[in-house]
This record gives sequence, C-alpha cells and structure tokens, in this order.
Amino acid sequence: MSIETPEPSSLLEIRGLAKAFPNVRALRGVDLDVRAGQILALIGENGAGKSTLLRILSGDYRPDAGVLSLDGAPLTLAGPRDSRLTGIRVIYQEPEIVPGVDVAENIWIGELPRRGPFVDRRRLEARVRHDLAEYGFQAVLPMKAMGHELSPAQRQLVEILRALKSNVRVLALDEPTSSLTDEEVGRLFALIRRLRDRGVAIIYVSHRIREILQLADRVAVLRDGALVAVRPARDLTEREIVRLMVGRELQEMLRRHPAAEDRVVLSVEHVSSNWHRDISFEIRAGEVVGFAGLVGAGRTELAKVIFGELPFDTGDVSIGGHRMTLRRPGDAIRAGMGLAPEDRKREGLILVRSVVENASLAILRRLSRFRFVRRQLERRVVGEFVRRLNIRTPSLDQEVGKLSGGNQQKVVLARWLAAKPKLLILDEPTRGIDVGAKAEIYRLIDELANEGIAIMLISSELPEILGLSDRIIVMQSGRITGELPGAGATEEQVLGLAMADNLSTLVRAASVQEEAQR
Amino acid sequence: MTEQRTDGLAAEPTAGSRRERRGPAAIGRQIIASVGAENLSLLIALAILVVLIASQSDKFFLSQNLLNIGQNISVVGLVAIGETIVIVAGMLDISVGSIAGVASVVAALVLLGSGDVVGGSGLAVSAGNAPAAVVGGILIGLVLGLVNGFIITALRVNAVIATLATLSAFRGLAFLIAPGGKPVTVLNQGFIALGTGRLDLIPGWPIPVSLLILLAVAVGFGVLMRYMDFGRAVYALGGNPAAARLAGIHVTRLKLWIYALSGAAAGMAGIILTARTNSGQPASGSQGLELEAITAVFLGGASLQGGRGTIAGTMLAVVLIGALSNGMNLLGIATFYQLVAKGALLVVAVAISQWRQARAERARTRVAA
Repeated sequence: MSIETPEPSSLLEIRGLAKAFPNVRALRGVDLDVRAGQILALIGENGAGKSTLLRILSGDYRPDAGVLSLDGAPLTLAGPRDSRLTGIRVIYQEPEIVPGVDVAENIWIGELPRRGPFVDRRRLEARVRHDLAEYGFQAVLPMKAMGHELSPAQRQLVEILRALKSNVRVLALDEPTSSLTDEEVGRLFALIRRLRDRGVAIIYVSHRIREILQLADRVAVLRDGALVAVRPARDLTEREIVRLMVGRELQEMLRRHPAAEDRVVLSVEHVSSNWHRDISFEIRAGEVVGFAGLVGAGRTELAKVIFGELPFDTGDVSIGGHRMTLRRPGDAIRAGMGLAPEDRKREGLILVRSVVENASLAILRRLSRFRFVRRQLERRVVGEFVRRLNIRTPSLDQEVGKLSGGNQQKVVLARWLAAKPKLLILDEPTRGIDVGAKAEIYRLIDELANEGIAIMLISSELPEILGLSDRIIVMQSGRITGELPGAGATEEQVLGLAMADNLSTLVRAASVQEEAQR
Repeated sequence: MTEQRTDGLAAEPTAGSRRERRGPAAIGRQIIASVGAENLSLLIALAILVVLIASQSDKFFLSQNLLNIGQNISVVGLVAIGETIVIVAGMLDISVGSIAGVASVVAALVLLGSGDVVGGSGLAVSAGNAPAAVVGGILIGLVLGLVNGFIITALRVNAVIATLATLSAFRGLAFLIAPGGKPVTVLNQGFIALGTGRLDLIPGWPIPVSLLILLAVAVGFGVLMRYMDFGRAVYALGGNPAAARLAGIHVTRLKLWIYALSGAAAGMAGIILTARTNSGQPASGSQGLELEAITAVFLGGASLQGGRGTIAGTMLAVVLIGALSNGMNLLGIATFYQLVAKGALLVVAVAISQWRQARAERARTRVAA
C-alpha cells in the first residue's frame, strides 16, 4: 500500500523495561512503542529476550524495573488476569485446547452461555457461527470438530478467537507459524491483517525473517536483552535483519565445500509404504542431499522408514551396498545410520537426564567392557564433542532439559557424531534455534560432509536447502516430484515441484480468497 | 598432585585426603555423596523420626530392636528394589506381592519334593534341598515377571492394568499350587536360617542373614542401574520412550528384562518370607507388599513420570518406613491406624515427587525463556 497514512500514536508504551534471572540478564532497559493499527515484529535470537518480554506483557513475570503504560495511563500487571482485563492478550505456540470438547465450547470455555444448569448450545452455536463467518474461517475451522482433531493451525485460531471475544487491544503472537503449513500461514496472516485494520496493536514474534518482512509494519530487533533497532519494515532487507540479529551475514553462514565421492552410501530402491509411493534415490559419501517439500509431503516419514522406525511394504534400502533388514532403529544404527529427529524434545532427548548420558546413549556398548560403562572414557569422548560442537553447558552432568534449544540440538548431534555414522539424517536441524547456533550447525554439516559422511537433510527453510545441498530432491504427497542440482537451483523451481498439480490450485484459491478479503 | 595447580580442581580434596581427616563432617559428606544430595531430605526426615520415637520409647535404640528393624525390612526391601527399576523405566508393577506369594509356596514345594513329609496337623516337610528351593523361588519370580512383560509388550496392555490383573491371577495361582490351599510347614534348618539366622560379624551385633541378603541384592541392582549399560537404557526408557527407541534401544526386550528382574527380586522376597515363617505362605506376609514397596520407591526420590530414582534412595526410604513401623509398634499404635498411616505415606511420597518434578520443570522453562 503506497498511501501515506499519518503515524498512529502509540497505544502501549514500554520504557526502561528490565528483568534478570540468575546468571542471565534477559532484558536490559528496553523502550518500545506499540501502535494501534500496526503490526510490530519482534525478532531476535533465542535468549535475546523476546519471550521474557511477552511473559511480562501477559503478567506471568514481574519486571525488575521499567514502566508500562496503555493509552498514557500507567499499567501494573500483577498476573495474567490483570493483563487480560486491560485488553492485552498473548497467544503462545501451544494453546491449551480441551481435547474432548468441540471447537465452539473450546472458544467459549469458562464463559459458556447457560440455560439453567445446562449449556445453551443454540446460543453458543449462533455466536460461534457469527464469529467464524465474520473472520472468514467457516471453511477452515469446523465448529463441531473436537479439540483432539484440530491441527496446530486450528488450535491457534481457536486461541485467537478466544482472545477476540473480549475487547482485545494489544494482541501478541509468539512464533505462531512454527508448525503451520504454508496455506495455513496465509490464512493466519489474513486474519492478523484484518485485526490490524480494525485498530488492534499487534506484536508478532518470529524467527522467520521473510515472514516478518511480508507482514510487519515495523520491525524491532532484540539482541542479548537490548533493543538494537526499530525500523519500518519497508526499509529493511532479510540480510540486514540477520546482520542486526547477529552482526554477521547469512551468505557467510551458508558456505559449502563440495566433497561428494563416487561411493554410494545409501541406496533406496522403489520403496512404497503407507506414506510413500515408489521412492528411489541414492546418497553418496560426502554428499549433502536436501529434501524439500511442503509439510505433509512425507519427508519425515521417509527418514523414519529408512531408519527402521516405520515399516515399508515393498522395495529395498541398502547401506554400503548391503540390503538392510530394518525391524527397529537399532538395526539402522548398527549399520551406521544416525537420525536427529524433527522434534528433539519429544523424540530426540531424555530431558531429565544429563548431557553425558544423552550423548553416549547410542554408543554405550562400544564404551562398555563386560557391560560396565567405562565412565572415564565416556566423559572423555562426550567432552570432546561438547568442545567440538561448542555446546554451552555448565557441566557434563547438567540436565539436558535445562539447556537452550540450540544446545539441545547439538547434544543430539553429539550423540550421532560419537557413533561415527556413514549416513546422518537431519530432520529440520535448525528448527526453533537461534541464528548463532544455526551458523554453527551449517558449518558442522559442511565439515561432516568433508569427512565423508553422507547427509540426508530435511528442511522447510528453502535458503537452508539451497545453500547447503549438493543435490535437492523435492517431494510431494509421498512421491518424489523432481531432483535439482544444488548449485543454481532457485526457490521458484523448488516450490514449483513441491506444489505441482492439485496443491497449487488450492494455494491459489487461498490467495484469491485473501485478496478478496482486503 | 603438583603444587602449581591453581584451578578449581585442586581445591577439591581427593579421595585420599578425605579419608585422612575423618571428622564427622567428612563422614557425613561421604554418606550424602553415596545416597545422592537429592535424598538429603529423606535422611533428615529419618533422623527426626528416630529422635521422636526414641524420646517416646526407651527400647528403640537397643541393638536387639535395631536389628529387628533390619530383619523386618528385608522382605519389603527386596520387593522395592525390583520395583525401583520398573518405576524408573516409567512403568509400575503391582503384582509383586502376589509373585512373592507364589515364590514362597514354590520354595516350600521344592523342599517338599526333595525332602520327607512329616506327619502332624498340617503338611510339614523336613530336610529337602535348600539351594534348589532358593533357585526355584527366584526362577518362578522371573518367569511370572516375564509373563507381566509379555502381557505389556506383546499384548500392549497398559502396565498398571496388566499387573493389576496378574496381582489377582498370581494370588490365585499361589493358593492353587499350595496343597489344599494351605501353608506348607518347612523344617529345613539351613533354609530357615535365611529368614531368622544371625551372623556374629560384629561382637554384640548379630546381623540378620536376611539383612545381608537384602544388602547384597541392593548393591547388585545398584551397580546394574548405575554402572552398567542396562541401567542407562532403563533411565532413557523412563525419561523418553520414543527417544530411547530412536537411540537404538531395543525397547520390547528391555521391558521384558525389567519385569523379569522385578519378578526375580519379588521371588527372593518370597523365599525370605518362607524361611522366616517356617512355611510356604500363599498370601500371609506377601499381601500388600506392593503398596509398601511402591511407597518406598516414590519416597526414595523416583518420579512417576519415569527417568528418575535410585536404588540408594529406595533403600533409605525402606529403612525410614521400617523405623516408622517399628516405632508405631513400640508405641503400641493399633494396626488399623498403621494401615491408614501407610496409605497416607504413599500420598505424601507421590505428592513430594510431583512437587519436585514441577519445580524442575519451572527451572527448565525459566532457562528456555
């Protein structure tokens, strides 16, 4: 939009906000204006202070110093209730949804219309139908779908609708798109824009720089708890934001030294499963093969099939020329595979156990003599990888659950590096981790390829796939729809293959709908 | 160690130097180190309890009474050791009391098969092969544990439901295999010594044989859990089954082993029970053991969510509960009240465990933020 509108006045003013935790100064004197009818993006590495700021706004944390004011009147937020009453709502990544209750009741939970002792379903449904129609969500959020049937995107929508039924003036969203498909992201953005146009002040926290440039009016960058820049989004580029966040450039982070050898490490031939149809490809030693595709294309499932975690019906998987019998992941590990799963907390780590126990889990037999773990040796081996991967932990005995996301991911990587694999499968290795740790993981992938390890890289971040892969395989609905050389491939080419046939029409329909709503 | 070292490591006294100046503080530190700092509150509770009871009864501190406690805790202690592994692995075994009952009868039956029947009011047996009886009792425990493991892994029945079912089934089995459903009296003195014998290892302190067995089994299982790859796998399984599997742990086989070991430990408890009461008992003495064992495991620092807990913690809790129950007897508190107290203690133990968990989680989210 090119029409110059007068700068709206600030609705929420933050002055000198500070908060410290033991050993960490999470926020140090942040000044920020949040304006009505504007989308303010808040960006920064993990630990930069974004979450702390949101938790202060939601009343979960009390600041150590600083003043908040809404409409010029000072604001004291003693708890989540205070925050809601003043019209501030924070939407977190994983909203609380009651699984056994439908969408309508989930939205109005706690304030269900009643008729005597019973819920007045008729009144409830009328209200919800009205709201869904008003925001254009009848098609995507069926009123009678049960909580447990909802996708992450639908859960977010329920939480947002909950917020909207009260008079919300400031709406903050914490990484709302991290588990959404592109199509769902489009819908969410349409909703956010509509809310902005009605005069709601929006704070949008995200790691995804491109997304922010698309959506935000202004961008605020936090680094180490301090505000480093607030600028109109149209004055910023992706490169510049990364530089502001870390003081380094993305291109430097994504440097590769091609190292592919002729020796084939992984060979997948005509594999069909519940999730796949006729998948064939090879990965050679020292080669990084990127797997691109939309969420739900079957990439994670393919990784798990190769790793012996999910079954396949027909076809062959061979490692180093030997056909594998894969009954369970242990078989794959013995053959020289490692898998860093997509969801490291749920599938990768034993959060309540120590760094050393987590890192040595896949090589315990090798570290043991007569089944006794040689603990000196174990600590030496793990210590080496902690140093090599630059894992920031107070000690080897620290509980893994207490580390930051990036360091947790590095512990998973340490486990597999210690196992000296021939093939390493990395499923979204940089999801939810800060730019600094990302750069380290990119460098590591390059190093590992140079050591002759074959790498299967699954990622939804296209720059990552384009910058790191020797070859790119694109999947869609359980099939391989194309292969591109790593050098010279463009995002458009990859997206074209990822959204071939039916899906692309869907996406087009969604964007048309979005246009129409504007 | 050289003189020039100025880093933090040098400040730490070495094991040798600690042994040289053996003040009470140093000994205290060693005890804490061996049971784990997280069990400190348990030690303090034990100390307070002992002082309270001792102030009320002059018999408590008599060596005879202390050794009685030692003898009395051996049965529940053995069961609790096996239960610790199961709970650390994130599951539960409530059939352990029934397994002990079956093992008690089986041990007596082995003696019956290899000895002479003596006439009398009930069925009694003299002589018999005592080592075979011990092996038989442990083996049947192991097998019944495998049955639990099979139901849980192959039939995919939830662990609580599976062992609730076998709690009933194994109890029935114990009565079925006991001739006439009645206890079998055992007269083999060597065997009986396992339950009631004393060894004069320290002058004036005849140590119960059953306490020594408990200690040996505790050390064995403690080593298994702490120093062997098996223990690491159990902690991983309890902490996050999906991640354990993806790290290459053969989860099905591991679960079978865990229940087999729990069954074997309960079988050993059944043997001690037979030896102590001179008779193979289908129910008496083993009924309700699961409650006491599970209480001890949670009180000893294990978490309901799995992945946490130690044999040392469980043993401390067993001693605490033993002292408590002994104290209540000395003070003449009626059994009915004691039952209520045991139930309350389980609630308290789990509540404390949950509270620890919540606190740990809060600490975690704080760092993440």
